[in-house]
This record gives sequence, C-alpha cells and structure tokens, in this order.
Amino acid sequence: MHFLAPSLLLGLLAAALPAIIHRIGRRHARPVRFAAMELLLRAEHEVSARRRLRDALLLFARTGLAMALPLAFARPFAEVRSDLPAVTGRSQSAVVVLDDSASMRRRAADGGTPFEAARAKARAVIEHLSADSEVALVLASEGSAAPIAELASDRARVVAALEAVPSSARRADFAAALRRATQILAGSTRADRLIYVATDLQAAGWDDVKPAAGPGAPQIVLLDASGGAAWTNRAVVALAAEPAPEEGAQGIAVIAEIANFSPEPVRNLGVTLALDGAEVARGFVDVPAAGRARKRFVLTTAGGSAHEAEVAIDKDSFPLDDRRACLVEASRGLRVLIVDGDPRTVRTEDETFFLEAALRAGGSGFSVTSTLPDDLAGRDLSGFGAIFLANVNRPTPTVAAALIHYVEAGGGLFISVGDRVDTDAWNQAAKAILPQPLGLRRSAAALPGAHAEGETVDLRPAERLAPIDRRHPLLSAFPAHGDGLSSARFFQYMLLSPLPDAPGRQIVLRYESGAPALVEAEVGRGRVLLLTTTIDREWTDLPIRPGFLPLIQETARYLAGAPSGEAATAIAVGQKREIALEPDDRRVEIVPPAGESHWLTPPARGGDAHTRRTLTFAETDEPGFYRVRAARGDGTISERPDAAFVVNLDARESDPARLPDDKRPDRVTASATTGVAPRRRLELWHALGAAAIALVLLESLLTLRFRRGRVKA
Amino acid sequence: MPTLALDPLDIALLESMSVRARVIVEGAFAGLHGNPHTGASIEFSEHKEYAPGDDIRRIDWKAVGRVDRYYLKRFEDETEMRSFLLLDSSASMGYGRKGVSKLAYASYLAAALAYLLAQQGDPAGLLVFDAETRQYLPPRTRGGHIRDLLVALEAVTPAGRTEPGRALAYVGELADRKSLVVLFSDLLDAPVDLADRLRQLRSRGHDVALFQILDPDEVALPFDEVTDFEAIEPGDTRRLLVDPRDLAASFERESAALRERWRRTCVEARVEYQFATTAQPPADVLRAFLFARQRARR
Repeated sequence: MHFLAPSLLLGLLAAALPAIIHRIGRRHARPVRFAAMELLLRAEHEVSARRRLRDALLLFARTGLAMALPLAFARPFAEVRSDLPAVTGRSQSAVVVLDDSASMRRRAADGGTPFEAARAKARAVIEHLSADSEVALVLASEGSAAPIAELASDRARVVAALEAVPSSARRADFAAALRRATQILAGSTRADRLIYVATDLQAAGWDDVKPAAGPGAPQIVLLDASGGAAWTNRAVVALAAEPAPEEGAQGIAVIAEIANFSPEPVRNLGVTLALDGAEVARGFVDVPAAGRARKRFVLTTAGGSAHEAEVAIDKDSFPLDDRRACLVEASRGLRVLIVDGDPRTVRTEDETFFLEAALRAGGSGFSVTSTLPDDLAGRDLSGFGAIFLANVNRPTPTVAAALIHYVEAGGGLFISVGDRVDTDAWNQAAKAILPQPLGLRRSAAALPGAHAEGETVDLRPAERLAPIDRRHPLLSAFPAHGDGLSSARFFQYMLLSPLPDAPGRQIVLRYESGAPALVEAEVGRGRVLLLTTTIDREWTDLPIRPGFLPLIQETARYLAGAPSGEAATAIAVGQKREIALEPDDRRVEIVPPAGESHWLTPPARGGDAHTRRTLTFAETDEPGFYRVRAARGDGTISERPDAAFVVNLDARESDPARLPDDKRPDRVTASATTGVAPRRRLELWHALGAAAIALVLLESLLTLRFRRGRVKA
Repeated sequence: MPTLALDPLDIALLESMSVRARVIVEGAFAGLHGNPHTGASIEFSEHKEYAPGDDIRRIDWKAVGRVDRYYLKRFEDETEMRSFLLLDSSASMGYGRKGVSKLAYASYLAAALAYLLAQQGDPAGLLVFDAETRQYLPPRTRGGHIRDLLVALEAVTPAGRTEPGRALAYVGELADRKSLVVLFSDLLDAPVDLADRLRQLRSRGHDVALFQILDPDEVALPFDEVTDFEAIEPGDTRRLLVDPRDLAASFERESAALRERWRRTCVEARVEYQFATTAQPPADVLRAFLFARQRARR
C-alpha cells in the first residue's frame, strides 16, 4: 500500500485516544466503600454481557474512527497489475467504442457474454484514464446513437451511460463507429487522441474500415473481449418460401439454409418448423464442415392469409441465430380477372380476345372472369390470384386505391398498354404500383430482319425482343434462344420514364432497342408486371406467336403464386420498415415480438390525394414477428396482416471468423508503448471514508441506545 | 395524621441517647394518646367493664376514680415481659453516605423501644453483636438499667463481619421463658440459616420482630459517575469498577427482591417484619411497628 500524503499518518496516534481516555476515566474513578456489594455484583452480573459487548463495540468504533480518518486523509492506494494498455494512464482525449452487436450476446465458456466482458474492459479504461483526460462513448452496432457524443471530463457520467447500454441484435459497423469517433476527436487539441474499441474481434463489421492515417490521426487500441478462445457456431442464415405445386395450389415449401461455422461437420442437426407458433414439422440435416446445407419443408395452408413460419435448429452458444422467421402465404388459387379496356362487338377484335383464349386453353386450370373497367370499382378483388388490365383508359381513384391495396396485400397485377391508355392519369393515380412511369408511345423505325418461313408478313416497321434471360421464373420454361418469343414483332410500344434502380424491380424482357418490354416490380407483398405494348394484335403480333400462350399462362401462375418467404416480408435487425396506410388509418400500432407496442401517428395527408401514405418504423431491434394493427377513423382497431413483417438477424453476425492480425487497425498496443507490464492504481481512500462514516453511525447508534437505556432506568 | 416526628439527622443532633429515645417515643405517640406515659405499653391491650365473676384484683382503681365505673385492666401477659434488643454492629451497618449510618439509626430505634419498655416496667436487655457478641446487658428492671443500656447504645461503633444467626442462638439460650426478641440489622449478608433461627425462637414461644434497616443508597443507586466500589466489611476483598448508571435499574430490582425475600420469610415464620431506610423519621417507623403489633394482637 502507498500513500499520497504519508505525513498525515501521524494522525494514527489518535487511535490510542479512546483507550487512554478510558484508562484515565478508570484511574479517576471515585472509590466508595459500599455495604451492598452482593446486590451490586448481582446487578453487574445481570448486565455484564450486554455491557461488555457494548463497551467493546464502542471502543472498536471510536478506535476505528480515529484510525480511519488519518488513513483516509493520507490518500492510500494500491498498485495492482493491469491488463489495460499502458497508454490509458496518459492524459488524453479518448473515445471508447463499445461493440454491442449481436455476436456479443453469445454465451462464453465462463457463462458470461463478450458484451459483458467488453463493457468491463471499457469501464476499466474509462476509470483508469488520468484525471484530466476527457472521454466520449460510441456504440459499434449499425445505426446506433452515441451515448456520449462529445468529449466529457465527467467520467462518472460516462460510466453511467456505459452501464445503461443494452446489448443489441444489430450488426456491427466499425467503419461508421470509427468515423464517428474520429469526428469527435477532431475537436480535441490534445496531442494524445485515442480510440479504444472493446470488441470480440469478429471479422464481420470490419469490412470497410479504413483507419485514418497521418500524423494527427487518432491511435486505435483494440480491447479483446473474446476471452481468447475461438468459438464455433451453427446458424439458420436464410429462409425462403415458394409455392409447392406438388402439394397443389395451397402447397408451400419452406427452405432453410443452415450454415456450419466450424471445422467439424455436424450430423443429425435437429431442424424444426413452427407455423403460427406451433411446431408442425421436425427433421434432421447434416451440415459439412465450414459449409452449408438446405432443409426443405413442404406443407399446405389455407390460402389468402399470411402465416408466421419459423425454422429453428438445435441451440448452441449463440441461440440468437439458431432461428429465423418469415411470413408465408399460399397461392390465392388460379382465379384470374381480366379487365377489358377496349371491348369490341367483334369478338376477334376485342382487346382481350387472345389473352382470354390463352388463359382458357385446355388443362390450364384457370378460372377466368372478364369485366369492364367501370365494373371494377364494386368488385372484391381479394379472391383473385391475378388481375390483367388490358388497355384500360385510366383508373379512377377508387379503382386505383383498390388495386394498390390488392397488390400490397399480396395480389398479382398485369398491365398492358394500348392506344386508350391515358399515361398522365395512370402515372398520377397508380404511381404506387406502376413499376415505372409510363412515357411516350414509340413506333418502330425499321423493318425487322429476316422472318421465318411461312410466317404472315406484316410490312409495318417492327422490333423484336432481345435475347431472353431464362433465369427469371417466367422465362425458365422457354428454350435457350427464346423460340416462340423471338419471332414476335412489335410495331409500337410505350417508353417508360427512367427511375433509379430499386430492389424488387427488374426488366424481364427488352426490345432489341433496349427499351423495356416487360417490367416487374414487387409492391408490398404483391407483384406487378407491366407490358409496354398491347395484349392484342394492335401494336404487336405477339399474340399469334407460339410463345404467347406459355408466356401468359406462366405469367398468371407467377402472379397468382404471390411472392412469399423471407425476401418479401423480412428485414434485418435495425433496418427501417415502410408501412403502407389505408386512407382511413388514424394511428398504427406495431406489436414487436417482446416488449411494449409502439403507436405511430401518420402525418397529415399531403396535396396529392392519390398518393398512398406510408409510415416508417425504425425500432426493429429484436428479431421476430412484428404485427401491425390500425386504428381507423370510426374508432375500430383492426389487424393488418398485409403490413406484418419479420425482423431477422443479419447473417454476417453468425460468422465467428476472427479479424486477421494483418487487418487489425490498431497500431498502438500495450507492449509496444511500454516494455513493462502496466500497473494501475487502486484508490482506497473512498473505502476508508465509507468505513469512517459507518463507524460514526455505529458509535452514534450505540450511544443513543445507551442513553435511552439510562433514561428508562 | 400530623406528626411531630423528627428526621434522623435532627435526632442525631440531640444531646444524648436518652433524649433521642424520649423524642422518638413522643413523636410516635403524638396524636395517638394525650400522654404517652400514661397507660402506654407495647403490650397493653384494653379496658373491660367489670362483670360479676371477674377477678376484682384486676380492677383499675385509677379509672374508677376518673370515671366512677369499674374497669378491668387487661394485659396480654399478666407478668412482666422480658425483651432482648439485638443490634447488628457489623461494619456494613456503619454505611451512611449522606445521612446517619444504619447503626446509628438502629440504635435510635432500639433506644426508643428500650425507653418504652422501661416506662411500662418491662425489663429490656441489649445484645450488641457482629460475628461475635460484643456486649450483652441482660434484661433488668432496676433503676439505672435503662441509663446503662442507652449509654451502651450510644457507644456502639461499627466493626467486623455480621453473624446474626449466632446472636439469635445465644438469645435462645438466655431466654428461659416467653420473651420479646427484636433484631436490628441490614440483613445484606445474612446467611440463609437466619430464617431457621427465627423459626426456632418462634417455636419456643418467643415473640420475634425484625427491623431491616437500609441506607437509601442501598435501595436505589444514586451515583452518576464511574465509581470504584469496594466491600466495607473486613476480609471481604470484592471490588467493582463500574459506571453505576449502567447498573441502576438492575440494582434496584435486586434490592427490592432482597427485601421481598425477607418479608416473605418473616411472614412464613410469623415474625413481625419492619423495613426502614435511614432517611425515614424513626418515630414513624416505631409507630408503624406498634400499630402492626396492635393489629396482630386483635
């Protein structure tokens, strides 16, 4: 033990005062020759045990107090070996980056978590910094706010903020965290600027890290909270659902991808499928060492509504990634609605003649209903697996809203254009579902090239389709060169306004000119296909080409088997979720997998009455199913299954690969800074001060009880 | 009842023991009789009107002269009653921190009783003892005996350890017929066989009374600073250094228990028990004793 003010230890002599005072008191006791000694001794015997204990406690309290005070004033401290970097003892500006990503929640061999270890290391650094240092606190998980975003000298506040940090399920993003830390340190004028990163050194999250270089760049110190031992892991890294035709229209296949992050293969790993919370299937899978395996479950469900599917494997030390969820929905059946936008009295001239003929072709199984645009408003669209809009002039606001709701709820919509289409009206009313805004009509500039023998020759200038990409499900049934489609000629088509790339939108077919012929977009849980030419022979001879029938039938099946599985309904932890609102929605309740609901109030409707309102929900911090309920204007609260979504762990957090040494951004280590094992000072005067206060209280209590006893006597 | 009783310190200031005895007796009888020297007796019982058949030798002729009626004078004992006054003079009886010592107080009471007995012509003896018999004056009625007795009481000084049982045994041998035996002691260190001695005396027909006299300090500890207590009797080496405030409550309980124990012992042995502290006027104590005897005779 060492003392900052050892001369004050002379005060320890005061420890003898209580004993001396006691002895002086005894020496000056008045002698009395007393007759009733027997009574006196009996009385003394009765109280002696209690009195002796009290006297001993009083002597202890007073002597202890007389010792504790000078000891505390002498500022004692002990030097203990420290596993902290020696640089922590210097006066500096520091930012502590705490890794609170999902992988830090795994259980280590000692029963603790790397997150707890990292927090302890971060706390030790903060407490060990010299008194004039300043420190900030930043979190490493993606999108997290910094608890202490400015350099602060009040370390107690920083420690309190550190203790309040919960572990998250987000992925690590050290690039962003280090950028933030560097920005914070940029305002410091100190020579020593350090960034301490308390992490398990998992490689994931360090991908884009580019430490600042140069003379003024902060030094990075990594605090290893992994405990040194490598960990192995098994995880469900992907989950998909797709129609299972072998089980009929209501068949669904749920496919889980299971990764084994260990050098040993895993045999007979238990895999369980739960549907709506109930276990419905269990199987086993062998996963090769450092490899992946797929497990496919097939089941049938009632169509028309989404189900919560969750695949779980046998638990390991990181249970958070041992399960994965998605929403699945069976096909709505093969009911198809055709909306004829250009009806004619002559059957063969009708806009939907070829379309209807293709859908009704024998053995297709489609139940086709035809209607006119004016009749669309009163129809219940939810029963149809796919809707074809053929050359419809303009959707009324009511029809547009119904179509948007239909698609976002999982419906499939096919739109073909023609000379009756009012592009402005479509772009305004149906902006939410159009894959791309409609543009100008274009006529082919030149005659197409050679045509097949025996084919009917139309001498109008025409274009053909570009080679098809058979990887798309719609086109996978066609031959490699697109026979049946490649001969089709397109005399006119509609150009589309360009849009930046968006997830879920892709061009399925192109013209030779490069203009889109068939464009697909995922909207909500549904899908829309836009054909930029007519569905009859007005602008193209496609309807009379051999590929037309399979193309239309595949399109109908593709649209009716609404997208299902993780891709459409799941987001990663921490990502934002857009929630589409109904016109009458006043408030929306998001029910997370655990904890309290979140109530969101939509913004007031803007000037565009046809624009669909949306809400952004950002608090997707826990994996699991998030349900949505909406409070309507009439006071009712209803479930919104179409808006429900799933939050899954970012699969990168499951990979236990350790950050290679050559990728480590730290350039300053404890051993590099000093050649000796660092030591840290453990202040003891706080404990002594607390002991002195306790002794004062004890002495007061004893004296008080003593006096009360005398008053009673 | 208004009394003329002087407190012990006032009595101590009086000139001689005979004066003190007389003052105490007068104080005890003040308001009880017009003249304590007339018809006053510790054994006088009552007057009874003459009836045919009564012994005419018992007629109180003085009463006949006063009221012109025949009354018979009745006494508990028709013969003279010998009394033994036993005074504990051990060292512990010398304790008296603020007032008179217990020994002085007991001497006053013994003198007053002796005076009263002499007044009614009953012989009274005195036995002063500690562990041994220090002085013995046998009961006599001759003139001058009371003066010798009072002088002896005045000369008593505290010393030695106490053995009241021995004194009682000694009196038991001396008293060959029914006698009144009165013991004055603090009974602080009295052995347990003292109760047996008292019962033996009673079984022989003696009338026995016990005065337990304590200093107020021995009833409740009044000390308020650390005190080094040491035993007062010779040969007793017990000491206790203590803050008396710690023991006050317990001491008071022990003292009360001691008194209660002796009171119960006396009741069981049919011995009259009288407790007094040296702060009480002796006349009050004497009066209480006489009243108690009178009630017990009825």
